[in-house]
Amino acid sequence: MAREATLARPLARPLLTRRAREVLTGYLYLLPVVIALGATVVVPIVRAIQMSLYRNVLIKPQEYGFIGLGNYARLLDDDVFWLSLWNSFYWVFGSVSLQFLGGFVAALLLHQSFQGRAAVRTLTLLPWIIPGVVVALIWEYLYQPNYGALNDLLARAGLMTDKVAWLSNPSLAMPAVIATNVWRGVPFFAIMLLAGLQAIADELYEAARVDGAGVLERFWHITLPMLRPIIVVATATRIIWTFNYADLIFVMTSGGPANATQITSTYTLLQAYSNLDFGYAATLSVVLLLIMLAFTLLYLRVTRGVEPVA
Amino acid sequence: MDERWRLSRRQILKGMAAAGALTTAELAWWDEPLIAPRRAWGAQPVRFQFSVPEPKRTALVESLAQRFNQSQKDFEVKVEFVPQAQARQKLITSIAAGTPPDVAQVWDNWVGEFDGMNAVEDLTPKVRDWSGYKDVLPLAWETVTVKKRILSFPWVVTNDGVYWRTDRAKEYGAKPPKDDWNFDDFLAYAKTMTKPDKNQYGFGMRGQGTWAVLYATEFMYANGAQVLGKDGKVAINSKEAAEALDWYLDLFRKHKVCPPSVPTDGWRGIVEGFGRGVTNSYIHNSGSSEEQKDFVKPENFATVPLPFGPAKKRSSFYFSETLTPFKAGKAREGGFKFMAWAMEPEPHFMYSKALGLLPARKTVAERPEFTRDPALAGFIKSFPFSIVSPYLAHAGWGGKLDSEGVPLFQQALVGRLTAREFLDKFAEVLSKNMS
Repeated sequence: MAREATLARPLARPLLTRRAREVLTGYLYLLPVVIALGATVVVPIVRAIQMSLYRNVLIKPQEYGFIGLGNYARLLDDDVFWLSLWNSFYWVFGSVSLQFLGGFVAALLLHQSFQGRAAVRTLTLLPWIIPGVVVALIWEYLYQPNYGALNDLLARAGLMTDKVAWLSNPSLAMPAVIATNVWRGVPFFAIMLLAGLQAIADELYEAARVDGAGVLERFWHITLPMLRPIIVVATATRIIWTFNYADLIFVMTSGGPANATQITSTYTLLQAYSNLDFGYAATLSVVLLLIMLAFTLLYLRVTRGVEPVA
Repeated sequence: MDERWRLSRRQILKGMAAAGALTTAELAWWDEPLIAPRRAWGAQPVRFQFSVPEPKRTALVESLAQRFNQSQKDFEVKVEFVPQAQARQKLITSIAAGTPPDVAQVWDNWVGEFDGMNAVEDLTPKVRDWSGYKDVLPLAWETVTVKKRILSFPWVVTNDGVYWRTDRAKEYGAKPPKDDWNFDDFLAYAKTMTKPDKNQYGFGMRGQGTWAVLYATEFMYANGAQVLGKDGKVAINSKEAAEALDWYLDLFRKHKVCPPSVPTDGWRGIVEGFGRGVTNSYIHNSGSSEEQKDFVKPENFATVPLPFGPAKKRSSFYFSETLTPFKAGKAREGGFKFMAWAMEPEPHFMYSKALGLLPARKTVAERPEFTRDPALAGFIKSFPFSIVSPYLAHAGWGGKLDSEGVPLFQQALVGRLTAREFLDKFAEVLSKNMS
């Protein structure tokens, strides 16, 4: 039987090298995410930047037109913007620092073993589960000076003679809304930090104990460094959320009284939906974005990001 | 079987009809079952946006739409309910996106804004041909007239009056407010009715929302002030306005006849404050009269016109809840038919009565259900000196009142600005936004 000779053919040289194909395949896998993020994040940001360069007051369509940096120049002269920016920092710093402290204490307590721990852990989450608007309505009612529960309790306890207008007094309104936000945000930190605490190996504490380290030393040299990546991520996320979070203030005080609780996000809403000035509202949004970007970069640099400590 | 117990088919049908009628009689008009046959297929849909401040209105409007749908076969109204707080925002965004509803229920102070957006059409010729045109109060037409063009139907109207507690006035020996009372009587009543030890205050002042500024302006008008001068320029920072505003703010700042919550008390705050017995008077339109009948009981409160000021003048701002069609709507003919139908005496009466608002049609407003209701007396007696809100003069003022006027007013309330400083700043805001 005659054998057919098989001729070896040289393989065609591929268009791309193996390495290039691997890289390209990797990017192809990323493509859906890039498209999704592009459509939902990049395009709106670009549109907002574009809109901020136009005079765009919906009730004055005849005045619509490109004004360059006109809206940005107006912003520099806007006293309410500067007040709202200051209020935003007060709101963010007050809320996040107290949420963190409260959350840390709660996480440390929930990390201990005691009877009914599972139930307590579930209950701790409740404020976080309730929608923001509902939280705002509940607390608005609690703070109500004429028939709210808080004044009633304080009066019954003999701690108060005159009724306190928690949300109607400009000096008290911001601390009052911050307290509400703290109540709502503590569970977030508690759960995040609790997860971190559970991941720390007991051996580390045992070794430290053998070496004679006290409770504070163990906390300072083991717990805190081991939790640092979680703390950095959780606080950075929370700072951004709080800066943009308008629901609570919008429902409880609408930015009042006398702009005492006006933060940049509520002020942006006011410009867009009360004044129908979408150009100026877009300018505020762009500035807000830049501030948050700068703040986050600075924060990550100061805290050295989420890399493990050397 | 005994023949006396046997029912004929006719008797059974009669019995069923009677039972149905009895059941229906117990139900509110909007809860009544519909007995007319269903409308034919192929009717053109008419989108109607309605903002809901309370559940009662949902059933009422749904029933109205169904009745309109049963009354003809060419159009079918589909109600799109939106929360009241989002109604304006939703309309604006839908107008900007080119998809507004065919008809929407909107407050008259929004109509000018929508006109500025070129979103509404001139209905003047159509409205003048409509059979009920002359029966609608001229002042009601005025609320929906922008630049001499009628842009909407004034569905229901109302003005401001003072709600006061009849039972407590007797109990505390206060001089009951009379129709011709003045600023001094008002203050005396508020002082007598303030009992901090009982958590009661004489007057529930509004400090939040556009109407906080409007109510204060009514007191300024009572002292002879005007928002716009004869030359068309802003004149609200006059001496008369400052004096009256000082007097008004002092009710909260100096005399302490108002609850401490005033700077953040909006519509809900003042209505609830009176309803819960914390305040013994407040200024509002007739829209909360039905609610107070449930809270306070009809025999325990009454309404009276706003007091005369030092200039022996007074005014009550008159406004309307409108039915407004949009240019970009797809069923404009159907929308107009629905609006005209809703203004017919029966639906018009039912809608107004259920909500405690006053009908825009004279023949309906003259019915005893309105003229003999003590809870509405203060508003009806205020008609002779009612004027359309002066802040409707410029579309650009609508949003600015809320975003800039109210925070400035709150600063005056809490003593960070004097009445004069507030008025100067406020006049500047108004002057900048005359359009």
